[in-house]
Amino acid sequence: MIREVAIVGVGWSPFRSITPDLSYKEMMYEAAVRAYEDAGIDPRRDVDSFVTVAEDFNEGTSIFDEYVPDQLGALHRPVQTITGDGIHGIAAAVMQILTGQFDVVVVEAHSKASNVLTLPHILAYAMDPVFNRPLAAHPYFIAGMEMRRYLAETGTPLEACAQVVVKNRANALRNPLAGYGADLTIDDVLASEPIAEPLTRLACADHADGAVVMVLASGETARALTDRPIWVRGIGWANDTFWLESRPWGQARYAYLAGQMAYSTAGIKSPRTEIDFAEIDDTFAYKELQHLEALGLCKPGEAGAWTLEGGTELEGEFPVNPSGGSLGEGHLLDCTGLARVLEVVLQLRGEAGPRQIEDAEVGLAFAWRGVPTTSGAAVILSN
Amino acid sequence: MSLMYRIQHPRDALVWEGEIPLFSRYTMGIAGERFFREIMENGRLMGTRCPECDLIYVPPRLYCEQCFAHLDEWVEVPSTGQVHTYTIVHADLDGNPLEEPRILAFIHIDGTDGGLVHYLGEVDPDQVCIGMCVEAVFKDKAERKGGILDIAYFRPVG
Ligand SMILES: [Zn+2]
Repeated sequence: MIREVAIVGVGWSPFRSITPDLSYKEMMYEAAVRAYEDAGIDPRRDVDSFVTVAEDFNEGTSIFDEYVPDQLGALHRPVQTITGDGIHGIAAAVMQILTGQFDVVVVEAHSKASNVLTLPHILAYAMDPVFNRPLAAHPYFIAGMEMRRYLAETGTPLEACAQVVVKNRANALRNPLAGYGADLTIDDVLASEPIAEPLTRLACADHADGAVVMVLASGETARALTDRPIWVRGIGWANDTFWLESRPWGQARYAYLAGQMAYSTAGIKSPRTEIDFAEIDDTFAYKELQHLEALGLCKPGEAGAWTLEGGTELEGEFPVNPSGGSLGEGHLLDCTGLARVLEVVLQLRGEAGPRQIEDAEVGLAFAWRGVPTTSGAAVILSN
Repeated sequence: MSLMYRIQHPRDALVWEGEIPLFSRYTMGIAGERFFREIMENGRLMGTRCPECDLIYVPPRLYCEQCFAHLDEWVEVPSTGQVHTYTIVHADLDGNPLEEPRILAFIHIDGTDGGLVHYLGEVDPDQVCIGMCVEAVFKDKAERKGGILDIAYFRPVG
């Protein structure tokens, strides 16, 4: 990249299934105060621009961006809201800093999923109104169909998907931020109620409330602010076709393309050896496997066996989702990618406590925007 | 400074119940219009072909997503295809269990590079498999309204 960019501050409102006492604006405020304290900055003085990531229907309001400034300390400042995943917000902030116009940019995303009473309807409303929506099916049917095709094409056993759930929810037991830590068995996952076969209830991430705020800075400013900047080495994002009728179903091309762009901006040629660990979208358990393969972290069809052998466990050769992922932390809607990035930052700082990965130097975060989308975004960070 | 005091009891946590009355129209467009008129009037499926990429699009489109060419070559395509993938859905749109689980599939339409997402009928969930040959069952002409539900479902061939 033409200019150095680092993450110099992170803050959050913890991830829980419900948050009855706080509005989403107050959750953003809580996360922001923590991030500014962490970065050692005053937003009214030091921040040049703010980026939020949100989707109106999830907020229960329209024109969400107008709701932003006050709770972030952003009044009278450049503010933009983008739709996408939180990592798309990181990309926007990085680009703003790369222009040379801004030195400190704040990124925010949140989820108040507990206030969204008709989420499957909102997802279904995102499908083609003429060809798909009239079928009036629960939108997780897309995941069920994709999972079946992925398993068939790769020969991956159902047990490997279940093991992703077992691993991630166990990791979450070591993460005080996570809302869904649990000690499960493969049989528990396989025996849970079917949603869209072969997808079962425990193989789908339940939703959580939460917010994440990150402070990004140019290289010079970052070094002045902190002695432990976490550097953005590469970033990439991509989409596959809109049409369900043109999708490959078995593979995640958006993840392949986003990964290739991130690797190329970071100068990474062999991701498996040059990266130490990853936080990878696991909205549905099979997605972690499919994404691992698309991101070139293992060969096509090998993610299942790799997972069953323990290679992606916390103590394995390449830990995946040490935070617990969306399965263990709870799915945070538009904030999902920032939760992935947050864990990478904490690990690279050596602040991950009982789940700390030794000698972690380079980490990857990858997010997917969920059904029915094919939006993927990847970022590579180092200490 | 952050949250100095927090609400201590759920009964004190007030909420406003909101709803969005949302009604809209979505124009089917030139390609959609022709596709559904052919189903409604002639009970047949049509696609558009990109001569540059040698791709046949079902559903038909006015433009090729690979090369961005304008597509004006319409071709009749079979109403048969193969199950590319499928699922058995157990929940309705409110997340409640369906009384009768339903089979949804992506059917790759024969001789094309596309297909349709639809329900399967006249078949038990246990008998469905990837690669199964199926055909569209059109509703009676009098019941067709110009939409994807003019196809009642797909069923196994033979
Ligand atoms: Zn073409």
